[in-house]
Amino acid sequence: MMTKLYFLYGLAVVGLMGTAEYRGWRLTSFNEARTVPKSVRDNPGSYRPVYGGFRHFTGGK
Amino acid sequence: VADAQRRPPVSVRSVNCPNCGAATAVRTFGHAVNVVCQSCGSILDAANPGVTILQKFTEAVREEPLIPLGTRGKLLGIDCEVVGFQVRQITVDGVAYRWREYLLFNPYREFRYLTEYAGHWNVVSTLNALPDGGPTPDGSEPRSYGEQEFRHFQTAVAKTVFVLGEFPWQIRVGDTVTAVDYVAPPSMLSAEVDADKEVTWSLGQYVSGRDVWASLSLPGTPPPPVGIFANQPSPFRGRSGSMWRNAALLAALATMLWIGHLVSARSKQAFVQNFVFDPRPAQDASLVTPVFELDGRATAVEIETTANLDNQWMFVGYALVNDDTGQAFEFARDLSYYHGYEDGESWTEGSPIDTVTLPTIPAGRYFLRIEPEGDRTAPPVQYRVRVLRDVSTSLWYIIALVLIAVPPILASWRASMFEYRRWQESDHGSGGSSEDKDDDD
Repeated sequence: MMTKLYFLYGLAVVGLMGTAEYRGWRLTSFNEARTVPKSVRDNPGSYRPVYGGFRHFTGGK
Repeated sequence: VADAQRRPPVSVRSVNCPNCGAATAVRTFGHAVNVVCQSCGSILDAANPGVTILQKFTEAVREEPLIPLGTRGKLLGIDCEVVGFQVRQITVDGVAYRWREYLLFNPYREFRYLTEYAGHWNVVSTLNALPDGGPTPDGSEPRSYGEQEFRHFQTAVAKTVFVLGEFPWQIRVGDTVTAVDYVAPPSMLSAEVDADKEVTWSLGQYVSGRDVWASLSLPGTPPPPVGIFANQPSPFRGRSGSMWRNAALLAALATMLWIGHLVSARSKQAFVQNFVFDPRPAQDASLVTPVFELDGRATAVEIETTANLDNQWMFVGYALVNDDTGQAFEFARDLSYYHGYEDGESWTEGSPIDTVTLPTIPAGRYFLRIEPEGDRTAPPVQYRVRVLRDVSTSLWYIIALVLIAVPPILASWRASMFEYRRWQESDHGSGGSSEDKDDDD
C-alpha cells in the first residue's frame, strides 16, 4: 500500500516536473507590473520601475 | 485422519498432592513426568504411582499465567492444549529479564511451546534435525537450518524460576541451561545446553498477541508488545527495497523528460545589443531597446547581461514590456567584478556575466527598458544584453530527483533504526546492527 502510494506520489512529482519544464516555470523573483504607457519609448526616464533608484555598492575586498 | 479418528478422545484425570491434598489435573497421561500442584506449587513425580513430592514451592510470590492451564485452541493450524507453564529468567549486566513459556500438548503430535516476553509471542517446536554446523552452538557464528541462515543474537544462562502444570521431563525451580539464540525474523533458532552438556535445538515462529488470543479464544486483549523482540518481523521489511526500485523507475522517467526538454528547447536568440554606460554624469541613463519578437507558446525567457567590469559594480533595472499590451515584467540585476593580487595570491570576486530567466512569458512583441546605475567615480562600462526564448533548465529535474528520493531515504532510515533497536538488545548491541544484513529483501 505504502509502495503504491509512493509510486503515485512519484508520478505526480514527475508530472509536475514535466509541466514546469514545458511551461517554463522558474523561481525568479520579479514584478509583473502595471500597464506601461506607450510614451516610455520616447522618454524612458519617465518610467519608474519598482527597482529603480536603487544605488548601492556591492563586493570588493 | 482415519487413524486419528480411531483414537480415544482426550480426557483429564487428577492426582492428589501429598503436600496439600489438593487434586491436580493431569492432562497428558503417560507423557507427564512431573506435575506441579496448582494449589501449593509443589512439584510432584507423576511417573510414580505413589505421587511423591520432588520440590516444594518456596517463593513468596506466585506467577499467574496469562493463559489458563487447560485452554485449548489451534495455534499455527495445530490443535493444542495448554498443560504447563514456566517462568524463566536470564540476567544480563545485573538486570533480570523474565519470560513465560506455555507447554502445548496434542496427544498425536510432539509438544510445542508458546513463549511470551513483554507482549511478544513465539510458537516453538523442538527440531528433529540438527542445523548445519553440528550439534553444539558455537559462539556468535551464524547457523543454517533449512534454507535460512540465522545470525547469533544472544547467549545467556536461563534459570527456571517458576513452574505450574505438568511437564514431560524432569523439571525443578532453579534448573539452569545455557540458551543460545539465533535469529532470522520471523524465525528464531535456539539451542539449550543443560548441565550434562545435552543440547536441545528448537525453532520459534513469531506470532502476534492478537493471533494468539484469537486462536485460543481468550477473553480480553493481549498485553501490548513493548520494544522490539529478537525475531520480530520488521514492518519495514522489503518496503524500502521496493520503494527504491520504484524510485529508480521514476528517476529514469524524469531523466527522459528532462533530456527530452533539453533537446527540444530552442534557446532561440530573440535580441542582442551592445551598450555603453558612463556612470559619471549625474543624468538619467535609462534607455529602451528596439522591439523584438518572442514567439511560440508561453515559456521561459532568459536575459543575459555581460559587462566589462573592472573592479567596479553595476546595477541594471530591467523592464520587459509588451509593446502591444503595455504589460511589463520588472526585475533588477546586480553585477560586480573585482580582482587583485594580495599576499602573493591572485583573487577575484563576483562575475561580469549575469543570467536571469523569467517564467512563462506569453508570446508577443516586446522591448526592454534598461536603467543602468554604477559608481560615479568609475570609468564607462561596455555591456551586452541578450534575450533568449524557450530556454531549458535543470532546476525542476534536480528538485524532482530530490522529492523522489526523500520517501525511500526515510523508509530506509526507519528500517535501519528498527534493526538497530533490535540488535541493541543482543550481544552485539553496539555494532552489529544495520550495517550488516539489512532488512531489505
